Amino acid sequence: MYYRETGQIVRSYVKDRSMVPLREDRWIMAVFLAFMFLVVPFIGNDYWFSAILIPMMVLSIASLGLNIASGYTGQLSLGSAGFMSFGAFTAYNFLLRVEWMNIWLAFLAAGIVAGLMGIVFGLPSLRIKGFYLLVSTLCAQFFHEWLFNAYPWFLNYASSGVVHLPYFHYRFLPFQDQIFDMLGLAKEYNAYVWRYLITLIVTVLLALAAKNMVRSSTGRNWMAVRDMDIAAKVIGIPVGKTKLNAFFVSCFYCGVAGAMYSYCYIGNLDFMIYDLRRSFLVMFMIILGGLGSILGSFLGAIFVYGWPIFVTRFGDAVFGGGYLDTAFVENNSKIVVGTIIVVLLIYQPLGFAGLWNSVKHRLRIWPFRT
Amino acid sequence: MANGANGKVPHMVIEGIDLSFGGAKAITDISFTVYKGEICAVIGPNGAGKSSMLNVINGVYTPQQGTITYEGKKFAKMKSHSAAVMGIGRTFQNIALFSGMTTVENIMTGRNLMMKSTFIENALGVGRSRREELEHREAVEEIIEFLGLQSIRKDHVSSLSYGLQKRVELGRALAAEPKMLLLDEPIAGMNLDEKLDMACFIQEINRNRGTTIVLIEHDMGVVMDISDHVVVMDYGKKIGDGTPNEIKNNKDVIDAYLGVSHDN
Repeated sequence: MYYRETGQIVRSYVKDRSMVPLREDRWIMAVFLAFMFLVVPFIGNDYWFSAILIPMMVLSIASLGLNIASGYTGQLSLGSAGFMSFGAFTAYNFLLRVEWMNIWLAFLAAGIVAGLMGIVFGLPSLRIKGFYLLVSTLCAQFFHEWLFNAYPWFLNYASSGVVHLPYFHYRFLPFQDQIFDMLGLAKEYNAYVWRYLITLIVTVLLALAAKNMVRSSTGRNWMAVRDMDIAAKVIGIPVGKTKLNAFFVSCFYCGVAGAMYSYCYIGNLDFMIYDLRRSFLVMFMIILGGLGSILGSFLGAIFVYGWPIFVTRFGDAVFGGGYLDTAFVENNSKIVVGTIIVVLLIYQPLGFAGLWNSVKHRLRIWPFRT
Repeated sequence: MANGANGKVPHMVIEGIDLSFGGAKAITDISFTVYKGEICAVIGPNGAGKSSMLNVINGVYTPQQGTITYEGKKFAKMKSHSAAVMGIGRTFQNIALFSGMTTVENIMTGRNLMMKSTFIENALGVGRSRREELEHREAVEEIIEFLGLQSIRKDHVSSLSYGLQKRVELGRALAAEPKMLLLDEPIAGMNLDEKLDMACFIQEINRNRGTTIVLIEHDMGVVMDISDHVVVMDYGKKIGDGTPNEIKNNKDVIDAYLGVSHDN
């Protein structure tokens, strides 16, 4: 209906491996990104930034990370919250202790440190698969809780176990003070609009990088290991190296997501929030969104995070404020997410992304049918 | 062509291979030579150890005894990765494609050893990564054209018919530009047209690219037609080795195929 593919002829391999091959999709993407970058910062309010947009993007990156290990490479992992925690603590300690550090470099460092931890905790994948690997990745979860509990240095000896992240950690521009002075802006570097823009930029960059990886030899090697590791070995793909590479990249994403979770979303540093529940949540996101799909990582995160909010808002709108209590919303979202997981596993193992692909296929050939 | 003693160069010499799984002997003292540029068929009844033999050659199984001399280098055990690096390609009896990928992606994986860009370069998607991707795509398209896979290049391989999947798998092996191709029952389970196509592909690969081919096959008509050299196995032992004509008249082979009792 929307798509008009006649005349969109691919004449070169460059065009053929284009990231967004259809003209209509390019339009949607361009408009959407322009809206997110140029309009939302002006019309958004703190509620939308802090409770909806930022956490959705941060969790999307975490689920994208898990999707790289589990969806693309077939290495199940339950340690994602642990790697997020490593990332958050790395970013904090770099910003705290290194004079010239800025938030971009801190996020990069968070990713690298979490990625290296990922290689360590990914080592069992060389020998074991499936559920056994799932259990061994739990180590990351328990290790971070022990580490940050046992060594308060990481928390800068905060007595409460929670650190409030100071505004001057949010250094995202060169000569930021001078620029803010010049423009006459208040130096609230941790204002939600700045956090939103930081999150948006990182999210877009990481999504692009992921897309680039999965359509190159790196991604093909991951998927080859996932689909048939013997055949992968026989055609010369180094299976062990590929698995560790996937763990590194996956945990890099989780680490950056963790740093953003602390800095951009909650504004505190606290290892207790990176608990096992969060790992499960990220796993539900990729199961619902679609294993082995970048779009799916986003859809899953948006749905799992957004559903309880939607129910509350919808309930408030229909029944008047305060009618639905929090327990109801929480239980409702558990029931709905659980049911949808079961239904999707049976009818659409590729999740929302698979669902969207079949809808899109219908749209592309409309008015004909398959 | 003759058995190869007259002036042909050995590509691979297999000597005294013994392979057992626990107490079960799969292969007993097998020796044969594959010459450069020939089509060598390994035949034998089911369970004769043919597929195990291929698995030994490219390092999926490790034999207890014996050596493989590949292009003059002697190995007590082959490693899958180094076999691939040395130019041994392989297809499997029960298709081992990467089911979550498209035809073109599957064939592209065949060229992974030639693609040097790191994952960081790939993430940025510029420079070497982009160049390699386009270069190898061109090589892959040649294979797609050769095997007639144009119409399904963007299809997921899991949606393809058996015959086409076999072809894609051949394409993946071919993409690595192998010096030796091991084909495990390339035409089994196909209809007549598909069989003829596949036999033509195999012969063309052998003639035009000079690829040495070792294949396992049950279809005697095709085997006798296209191969230069036939090795016959039964119960893990070699019972015949020679040109198709010699094999046709070999008493042990006739016995094995017609089912003469083994203890007479």
